[in-house]
Amino acid sequence: MMLFETTHLTYRYDRLTAVEDLSISIREGSRVALVGANGSGKSTLLRILDGLYFGQEGAVRFRGEELTEERFADDAFAFSFRRQVGLVFQNADVQLFNPTVFDEVAFGPLQLRWPKSEVRERVHEALERFGIAHLKDRVPHRLSGGEQKRVALASVLVLDPAVLLLDEPTAALDPRSQSQMIDLLVEWGGGAKSVITATHNLADLEDIADRCLVLDGGRVVAEGAPAEILRDRELLERTNLVHAHRHRHRSGEAHSHPHIHSGDVERGD
Amino acid sequence: MKLLDGHGGFLERTIEGMHAGLERAVAAEHSAAGGGLLQRLDARVKVVGLLSLILAAALATRLWVIAAVFALAVVLAVLSRVPLRVLAARAWIGALAFTGAIAVPALFLTPGVALYRLPGLHWTVTAQGLTTASYLLLRVITAATLALLLEFTTPWVQVLKALRVFRIPVVFVAILGMASRYILLLLETAHEMFESRKSRSVGALEGAERRRMAVGSAGVLLSRTFQLSGDVYLAMQARGFRGEVHLLDDFAMKRLDWLALAGFAALAAAAVWAGR
Amino acid sequence: MHIPDGYLSPATCAVLYTGAAPFWYVALRRVRKALHTRLVPLISLFAAFSFVIMMFNLPLPGGTTGHAVGIGLAAVVLGPWAAMLAVSIAIVIQALFFGDGGITAIGANCFNMAIAGALVAYAVYRILAGRAAIGSARRVMAAGLAGYVAINVSALLAAIEFGIQPLLYRDATGAPLYCPYPLSVAIPAMMLGHLTIAGFAELTVSAGVVAFLQRSDPSLLKTTAGRGAALAEPAAGRAMRPLWAGLGALLLLTPLGILATGSAWGEWMARDFSNPAVQHEIAATSFQQAAPLRAPEGLARLSQIWTAPFARYAPPYIRSAAFGYLLSAMFGAGLIVLACLTVGRLFGRKEPAT
Repeated sequence: MMLFETTHLTYRYDRLTAVEDLSISIREGSRVALVGANGSGKSTLLRILDGLYFGQEGAVRFRGEELTEERFADDAFAFSFRRQVGLVFQNADVQLFNPTVFDEVAFGPLQLRWPKSEVRERVHEALERFGIAHLKDRVPHRLSGGEQKRVALASVLVLDPAVLLLDEPTAALDPRSQSQMIDLLVEWGGGAKSVITATHNLADLEDIADRCLVLDGGRVVAEGAPAEILRDRELLERTNLVHAHRHRHRSGEAHSHPHIHSGDVERGD
Repeated sequence: MKLLDGHGGFLERTIEGMHAGLERAVAAEHSAAGGGLLQRLDARVKVVGLLSLILAAALATRLWVIAAVFALAVVLAVLSRVPLRVLAARAWIGALAFTGAIAVPALFLTPGVALYRLPGLHWTVTAQGLTTASYLLLRVITAATLALLLEFTTPWVQVLKALRVFRIPVVFVAILGMASRYILLLLETAHEMFESRKSRSVGALEGAERRRMAVGSAGVLLSRTFQLSGDVYLAMQARGFRGEVHLLDDFAMKRLDWLALAGFAALAAAAVWAGR
Repeated sequence: MHIPDGYLSPATCAVLYTGAAPFWYVALRRVRKALHTRLVPLISLFAAFSFVIMMFNLPLPGGTTGHAVGIGLAAVVLGPWAAMLAVSIAIVIQALFFGDGGITAIGANCFNMAIAGALVAYAVYRILAGRAAIGSARRVMAAGLAGYVAINVSALLAAIEFGIQPLLYRDATGAPLYCPYPLSVAIPAMMLGHLTIAGFAELTVSAGVVAFLQRSDPSLLKTTAGRGAALAEPAAGRAMRPLWAGLGALLLLTPLGILATGSAWGEWMARDFSNPAVQHEIAATSFQQAAPLRAPEGLARLSQIWTAPFARYAPPYIRSAAFGYLLSAMFGAGLIVLACLTVGRLFGRKEPAT
């Protein structure tokens, strides 16, 4: 049985088709990267996999069970699913909606109706594990980008899900926080956990995934191991993951050649 | 009602106002983390205690009782490391300026025993006018001081959770918490919008243009608000939210808390009795 | 226009808190039914927006600037009940967290601005906008006027609350204990600033943002456009709204009756006939016809059958005549409303489902 399986999945909103006729399958215990430029449909796909959006056509199955709005109306199913699958949003302002860090990490367990004493214990544990115990009474607004991401991770991983969905985990982070983030993910991901990451940051691919699905215009256009994908310059250019642009070297010479952006920090030569 | 101060354009004043709001939030948070007397108490004791003192000052029909409650408030402030200049700047000056302006005509307009006649003009200050102006001013600064004390000695989230003591439904506490979390974000967004518009406008703008700019910013902010609320809704669902609100608080009454509660109750009761 | 602590007596504050509570309760129920789980994020975020809007210094004609509450905009975009909740939340946060507006006065401020404001704004908007297209200029005008009228009604309510203070609450020397200005001063003073500056600020925000949304995001205006929208009320309920608001306003104005001197013609008690002052009054108002020196027999007999619980409009335990007057008015009006609702329930026809 596959972890996730989509068959001819199509999702539209307003007049846009975000995901088109998508049929993919993801195994248990795998580390997959959904690679694509902005607007390629990868964020939407993550949300569909997390049972937040429901496609107009086609189907999504999680461990054999179809994910539909009716299914999620059932409390038992919903709680069980939310416990097993966690999603970390790209924007910290959206992910961190509670007034303090402690409340944020406690939110998930409280929603799943764990007894309050157990909630307190687990929250303190998670805060320690992610090195944010000293921030527990802080307001999320005034934390640094790296701290916010750690709180976001803690608030999802406190539930100990089997599957972690990540939307652009290293976006808007400085290089040091980025590498800390990757380390955290790699460490957590070892074992029977599944991680699906949506990203356009090619520099991290080899660390965070064993398999890549390249998306463009809501469709899968390529599939393979990170090394393979990174070698395919033509594909990367076609799907807007790298681009050729003009720049000027210190020597005064100006030319253009394709290069990769690392996160949001440009590094030219 | 806000006093219009005449200098600076509307952009500057809006930016200033927002900046002041943000800065006040930071100052309050910082002070609430300090080591003074009130900071050590359970939030519920503070909410009930300080509010009952505000109520006592509101009920009093004798000036000296209100003054006594005010003095008590100042003492509590000092003991909680909220310096007088902070009280003055944040609670007294604004309140006195505004209420002072409102109270002055009452000196002359209130019917009663004449006390003093202004030379030149035919206006008489009456004893009742003086009394009534004093009531107003004293009550206003007493309440403002006590409210500021609550704000500056208790983290905002704890004040909210303590409100449950008054049987306020959990959903309101949750909404208050989330709203205040996003106020800071929206204030900053609006602040940035205005700063960037200010830097882009060369020279003074015409009235209608300025109105359009203000209104346009409000419109953009509104769209952003709705978008954010939609996304936050998804994020809440992703963590298992099904409509039920749950709160977890860390409240536990210690000996000091019971003592303080008894103290507040006694003082408030005494003030109500003496002021009736 | 946020009333600080100290201007209203605790009794007035308590009355307004109790007045506000049922509206909050009903609003929560209705919004929950309409929004389900979206209630918390939507109301929270809109409350945050509301708070920020209140800080905008709006440039107005004539070179002045003013602040708007945004109640008109809230009512148009969210409907009256959600608007009521969101703006109430903003007011609470302002009072508790930013020291703006009194804590004892939260009930009063919410009643005036959030509750009455939302209902009035919504009613005016629906009446003026009619069935105009969502993108029409008529809707912009309706929104602007809705905001303008709503904020002025809020100001009037506040003025009345201020104005009855010296009437009802004085100390032993006769000095007013709270707001010292009677209605004759409070009403003109408040209304002047609101009919001009604050009213125009509100109008600018409501009309301006609605016009902006018509171009950029018209879906946000659908909720109150009518035709089975999510937060719409059944037809009869909608039309009733201004009437309830009117009744509420009249209730608050009842203490004005105290200002009337003497007694109403024909409403004399048995013992009034032996009172020379009343005799004189009766003659003066009856074309110089003198009244009998003793109460007519029938009158005396009948007047012993029934002693009203609130004799002379003041329950005996309420020492202040004016407050008793106000209480009696609310009690009386409440009884009448209850009676009408009961009769309606028992004998009225069921409304056809819409």
